[in-house]
Amino acid sequence: MSNTLYMYMRKRKAGMVGVSLLCLILLLAILAPFVAPYDPGRIDPSDRLQAPTSKYFFGTDRFGRDIFSRVLYGARLSLLTGACIAFLSATLGVFIGSASAYFPAVGSFLMRGTDALMAFPEIIMALALMAITGGGSLSNVIIALGVVYAPRMARTAYGLSLSIREFTYIEATRAIGSGHFRILLRHLIPNLVSPIIVQSTFTCALAILGAAALDFLGVGVPPDIPSWGAMVSEGRIYITIAPWVIVFPGIAVILLVLALNLVGDTLRDALDPRLRKLT
Amino acid sequence: MVTYLVRRVLAMLPTLLIVMIVSFFLIHFIPGDPASVMLGPHATADQIEKLQHAMGLDQSIGMQFVKYVSQIFQGDFGQSLLFHKPVTELLLERAETSVMLALLSMIVVFCVGIPSGIVAAIKRNTWIDQVLLTIALLGASIPSFWLGLVLILAFAVRLHWLPSSGYPPIFATGDLANLRYLILPAITLGFSNSALLARLTRSSMLDVLQEDYVNTARAKGVTNYRVILQHALRNASIPIVTVLSFTFAGLLSGTVVTESVFALAGIGRLVVESVLGRDYPTIQAIMLVVAFIYLFVNFVTDVIYAFLDPRIQYH
Repeated sequence: MSNTLYMYMRKRKAGMVGVSLLCLILLLAILAPFVAPYDPGRIDPSDRLQAPTSKYFFGTDRFGRDIFSRVLYGARLSLLTGACIAFLSATLGVFIGSASAYFPAVGSFLMRGTDALMAFPEIIMALALMAITGGGSLSNVIIALGVVYAPRMARTAYGLSLSIREFTYIEATRAIGSGHFRILLRHLIPNLVSPIIVQSTFTCALAILGAAALDFLGVGVPPDIPSWGAMVSEGRIYITIAPWVIVFPGIAVILLVLALNLVGDTLRDALDPRLRKLT
Repeated sequence: MVTYLVRRVLAMLPTLLIVMIVSFFLIHFIPGDPASVMLGPHATADQIEKLQHAMGLDQSIGMQFVKYVSQIFQGDFGQSLLFHKPVTELLLERAETSVMLALLSMIVVFCVGIPSGIVAAIKRNTWIDQVLLTIALLGASIPSFWLGLVLILAFAVRLHWLPSSGYPPIFATGDLANLRYLILPAITLGFSNSALLARLTRSSMLDVLQEDYVNTARAKGVTNYRVILQHALRNASIPIVTVLSFTFAGLLSGTVVTESVFALAGIGRLVVESVLGRDYPTIQAIMLVVAFIYLFVNFVTDVIYAFLDPRIQYH
């Protein structure tokens, strides 16, 4: 399986670009303390709003902080938030979706509820949840967006579980006397893993955009953590005299989200051969 | 068709109820006492008690819910704590900006998304297709707040073609030329959504173009132009219409960020202001109104869907 996937990825140039870009960003994020020339919080009033030079690759912001170093540290935050949100929404979604399909009596109620939650626009729902939880912390951002993206994941898991439930091997497992939880955990959920991974890649991309939007609006992580969204927000008043303050963090978001979308597209095509002929 | 409509309306009722329950409980999910959280740390016991009474928080949950639902049906969404006026009045004041913005963005989505999807499908695997797909992929990856600022920098600051912020409402000023204030916001909001629509239009056109009846039409000598617009597009439009309702939800959601970038006094900006100011009654009302709009649009979409594909009515 992994070998076929590798061969397929190699064939798809876009997929390779996505994987390479993602690996590069991951590597830079992990090695940020070694790669970053300055401390991301270091303030230098004499070097305020400096244009990009060999001293400051991406220039400096209104406090004289090095934008390159802050972009590198911002990658850590974005990757961490994206991954945690994708994991949380996948866990919630798989649990709700598969249980709803397996126990139809309770399931129809649960799925009705999930559908109703999808009526609330994502960012408005996330903002409301931030208001309830008190906002202003990384864990609240993860909880808010994790809950917001869970219904979508539950829908996917529900649809898939409905068909898997009817397979003969599930009936056979039931015939040999396996309990409901065993069937769910050992036989049904493992078969959801690949499509859920694909969906999680897209959710991760969406979550990074969503978290950046919350930071931009001033309701995300605290200001002392370098985040791409907050950097753009802080720099917007200087856009006429120092456009680099917003340009580089924005490009960073685009590259990371683009990489995840490319990887997601390729994984989806690889796992669903029906789609392959269409693209 | 009538039976279908009635069934569809009845199916919507439980969802409406759940939406109301969720927005009702929003205030009750606040850790601690909602009234003291809303009034902040310096509130006196007397003030807290007054607010609890005013919001009906001193009654049983069941009573509070019944009162909440009956107030909604009377168009009363309570009092804004931040702006000190009825939320309904506040929403009506801000509605024009958001509605105009959403409509203009929808036009952008239609005019950019569908044609580029069709062109990409017809020119499949050529450089035109590649370029369009790349732009669509970029569109799905650009944060809208950043795109907005870049557009301001290019078209307002450098070229001075369009205004960068604000919007004097047309209904108040009677000046249609004010629409130019919404051009950059509409492009910002519409761009990422048209990227999604272009990708979908392309794939559903490709699906349809492989069908036998398209080949039959071609074999009969129907012109290429007619095959695409009359035979293929009508059938490809079914999944496109479904996605348009999601697009509308995306636009509603997107107004929050776009209005903040362009300093537009719409409902999206109001959400952010109320979250920052802990104005829970306003947040609650906006969530509910937007969810209602979403459900209504979904309903209309389903009706159009049934009209385009009569088989749907019998399922």
